[in-house]
Amino acid sequence: MTHAETAAATATNDEPAVAAVQSPRSARRPRGLRRTAELVLFLSPALLLFVGFVLLPIVLAAFDGLYNWTGFGPLGRFTGLHNYALVLTDPVFREAFTHNVIIAVASIALQLPIGFGIALLLNRRIRGRSVVRMLAFAPFVLPYATTAVMWSLLLQPGGFVDQIMKQIGLGRLVQLWLANLHLVLYTMIVVLTWQFFGFAMLLMLAGLQGIPAELREAAALDGASGWQTTWHITLPLLGPTIRIWMFLSIVGSLQVFDQVFIITGGGPANASATMATYLYQRGFASYEFGYGSAIAVIMFIICFAFALIYQRFVLRRDTRGALTRAVG
Amino acid sequence: MIRVSATLGARSVPPGPAAPARRLKIPVATPVTYLVGLLLVGIIAVPLLFVIVDGFRSNAQISGSATALPHPWVWQNYSAILTSSNFWEPLANSALIAAIATALVVGLGSMAAFALSRYSFRGREGFYFLFAVGLLFPLNAASLPLYLLLDKIGLLNNPFGVALPEAGFGLPITIVILRPFMRAIPGELEDAAVVDGATRIRFFWRILLPLSRPALATVAVLAFVQSWNTYLLPLLVFTSPQRFTLPLAVANFNTQYSQNTASILAFTALSMMPALGCFIFAQRHLVGGFTGAVKG
Amino acid sequence: MRSVRRCAAISLAATAALTLAACGGGGSASSTGSAHVTLTWWNNATAGTLKNVWQQAATAFHQAHPNVTIQVEPIQNEAFTTKVPAALAGNDPPDIYQQWGGGQEATQVPSGKVTDLSKYTSSWIGEIGTAAQGWQVDGKQYGVPYDLHTVGFWYRKDLFTKAGIASPPATITALDADVTKLKAAHIVPIAVGSKDKWPDAFWWEYFAVRECSTATLKSAMKAVNLSNPCFLKAGRDLTSFMNTKPFQTGFLGTAAQVGAGSSAGLVGNGQAAMELQGDWDPGVMAPLTSDKNLNAQLGWFPFPTVSGGAGAATTVLGGGDGFSCTTGAAEPTCADFLKYLDTPAVQAKVVSSDVGLPANSAAASALTMPALKQVLQYSHSVTYIQTYFDTAFPTSVGQALDAAIADFFAGQGTPQSIIAAVKASASQ
Repeated sequence: MTHAETAAATATNDEPAVAAVQSPRSARRPRGLRRTAELVLFLSPALLLFVGFVLLPIVLAAFDGLYNWTGFGPLGRFTGLHNYALVLTDPVFREAFTHNVIIAVASIALQLPIGFGIALLLNRRIRGRSVVRMLAFAPFVLPYATTAVMWSLLLQPGGFVDQIMKQIGLGRLVQLWLANLHLVLYTMIVVLTWQFFGFAMLLMLAGLQGIPAELREAAALDGASGWQTTWHITLPLLGPTIRIWMFLSIVGSLQVFDQVFIITGGGPANASATMATYLYQRGFASYEFGYGSAIAVIMFIICFAFALIYQRFVLRRDTRGALTRAVG
Repeated sequence: MIRVSATLGARSVPPGPAAPARRLKIPVATPVTYLVGLLLVGIIAVPLLFVIVDGFRSNAQISGSATALPHPWVWQNYSAILTSSNFWEPLANSALIAAIATALVVGLGSMAAFALSRYSFRGREGFYFLFAVGLLFPLNAASLPLYLLLDKIGLLNNPFGVALPEAGFGLPITIVILRPFMRAIPGELEDAAVVDGATRIRFFWRILLPLSRPALATVAVLAFVQSWNTYLLPLLVFTSPQRFTLPLAVANFNTQYSQNTASILAFTALSMMPALGCFIFAQRHLVGGFTGAVKG
Repeated sequence: MRSVRRCAAISLAATAALTLAACGGGGSASSTGSAHVTLTWWNNATAGTLKNVWQQAATAFHQAHPNVTIQVEPIQNEAFTTKVPAALAGNDPPDIYQQWGGGQEATQVPSGKVTDLSKYTSSWIGEIGTAAQGWQVDGKQYGVPYDLHTVGFWYRKDLFTKAGIASPPATITALDADVTKLKAAHIVPIAVGSKDKWPDAFWWEYFAVRECSTATLKSAMKAVNLSNPCFLKAGRDLTSFMNTKPFQTGFLGTAAQVGAGSSAGLVGNGQAAMELQGDWDPGVMAPLTSDKNLNAQLGWFPFPTVSGGAGAATTVLGGGDGFSCTTGAAEPTCADFLKYLDTPAVQAKVVSSDVGLPANSAAASALTMPALKQVLQYSHSVTYIQTYFDTAFPTSVGQALDAAIADFFAGQGTPQSIIAAVKASASQ
């Protein structure tokens, strides 16, 4: 083994051997053609796959959205940006967008405290901690279709949820979880929270475990209470973690499809429609591929705009210096 | 007063209970902790248990009372499914596609992350931005044009028609997680390798990858789970029932045997097992990977 | 370098594997002639007796034509709206697929993928009678029906008796009275599968059929326009009817055909007294219940008349199921198969699965279920069959109409909004 390999082998167990982060010096690196060849070799397969199966469809969608197209045969009438204008003024699309925003806000409002609180608690030594941790993350790995089928069975009128509520004395609170126009979106939010909160918890836990206990010790020595420690030290230090999680959560909420589609189909009367389910309804079921494509592109633009804004105002201070530092 | 070290963010501490020189008082769990833990377990586990346990009941029992325990325990539901190709075939299909997608994502993603983290060249940040922006494309929104594209290149009703797009869509999060991880590996290692006469490729293969194992495990699990869960793309791509993936089979089973609630529950319960099993197997590496990633 | 060569070798192998897999994937029909032909067949019989009937038909056809294999691929009914548009847009649509004629078929024809069967069917399509017209576009035969449907009320005789209802209602007023009687007996009067939207449409459309004259209906379908005031009246009639709260609790979330909790399941299990559905309903109910005596309990009556309505009492809302062939699918063979499905022998089996009325009336004698015989009897007196609006209209308009009616059922629409939705969609 070379020197480097030996060093690497002894320096790590499971975790990367990262002691101090320094800018690796460049020393005798192959330059010129050889280097370009290496670069191409490493970068191009991923690039090809990505451009081919991700970028290309989106570009094609943008193009298709300019036409009044049933999806087959000739492209039909060129209608320019008409489809896009229609989408933006479509009351159902606007309603769907509002639902996505509600889902995004509610997801953060529910999952952040729950995830954080549970991570805090799990950070202590309790028996069966790893079992609980595993269990909390379990819903996240379940296929969305599976949980959707499961919840739609549980939420039937007179079904499991209703019966449990009756048995614990909450019988009066039983509602038509899926048929009530005013409730159905919130029922879906509960289902989504059940599925995703484990992810929040896991990220927080990882973040918490990166905070050295000496800090807590120091705080306690200085006379801070547990609550003060949490509020003034732990939470700010978890900042980057929380911000990244929020980003992923919001983007996910803007794109939610599977569970809603399988459980409610976006109904009743679009009361639980999301942008993605509406895209499906118009794009496939109504043979309106042009319109559907316009929805897809507008969805992407919304996500993109959000990402830019978020990056600029929220993530900037977390990533400044970390990602843009040149290496080699 | 309490002074938070400014360098704390930069210092990476291995996760798990900190291992300082002197003995620490790790906060002991209070009864409240146990109570919350129990509540948590309840909320998650009860729906799951319902599905699993009710698979052991008959339809008559279930219509009688949704919340009772099986009495007697009915084995047929589970045994019928476990002995039919209705379950194993979709399971195998899902596994195959997920394996291909994961291999592609981890392989190509680590290569790209390597290029983007340890080479400096003009337009590098542009490429990274391109990949990062891919996080914003939901697979579902692109499903229409993707379907037509797959059709044009003849990949419909073909596992690669699902695996390749899944890999493509998995690249952004993979690269976003792997790049900072790889960047943080000290240049001294690379220098030492060069001194020993190794090429960059060899460095990548022999040193960098093994060192990145936690992060690779993380992205592998994410990719596998993501692929396993995909619903709309397989629905569009596959027409022959024998090529269905497991989520499709669950939804299909639900409508095909819709009168047989007990059977549906058994099928659903069984379809959860692979994902759970995979997660249990990989979770050792998971926390470590995330720690490195979120530190940026 | 050794490692580079290894990488190249691996990528070459991977590319080769990819290409092979891509070429190998996707089964489709090979060319005609004595060479072996495989035809993929998409139908919606995922459960029940019909599933077996189709499988037997495929096998029997293969035995009669050894070089032809029919690959049966059942697809859940609601999934057709996803898969067919996508398939027709692509390069490899199924060789034979199910569709419902009318404007929906007309929307599919411009794809260029639907075979014009006229020259193959001209010799025998006459046996089907006027029903075949529903599958013609511009006089050309693009599909062949295998059964016909009439929409009416399916009711449980035992529950009617329990509520003290002597005979089925003939007018809406009588229906209202019966709903009251059923409620008094603590029986859910009517089940409706509102989640799937098209069952809602049956209600509005039948009121329209009762309020509008035949001439108005025909011109409205042709012009894709609901501006005649009778359509508004239909909406108002429906409003008054729904104000009597005749449906089951939570009907907005009830599916039509899937699960014991669906509207069909409710009636099948005796948890609701009646449902306005097509004549496939008994066949749908059968697997959803363990009651072996169901067929004896089921009765049928036509949609009641509306006082003051301009519509004829002998007009019925209906349609049918049929199949189309896609181009390149060994056309004469495909047409032969569709002809085979309409022969009295196969039709008799189709009929025995209680899916509706046979397309070929020669098989009518094979009807065993008393209620279906009743429907057949009634159909002899029908003067005009109005195809379901969402099938008669171009698909996008039809879907918009269904959505508007579903909104109406959810209290989110008005009689006017239904008309407006069609207008907006038709003008796009």
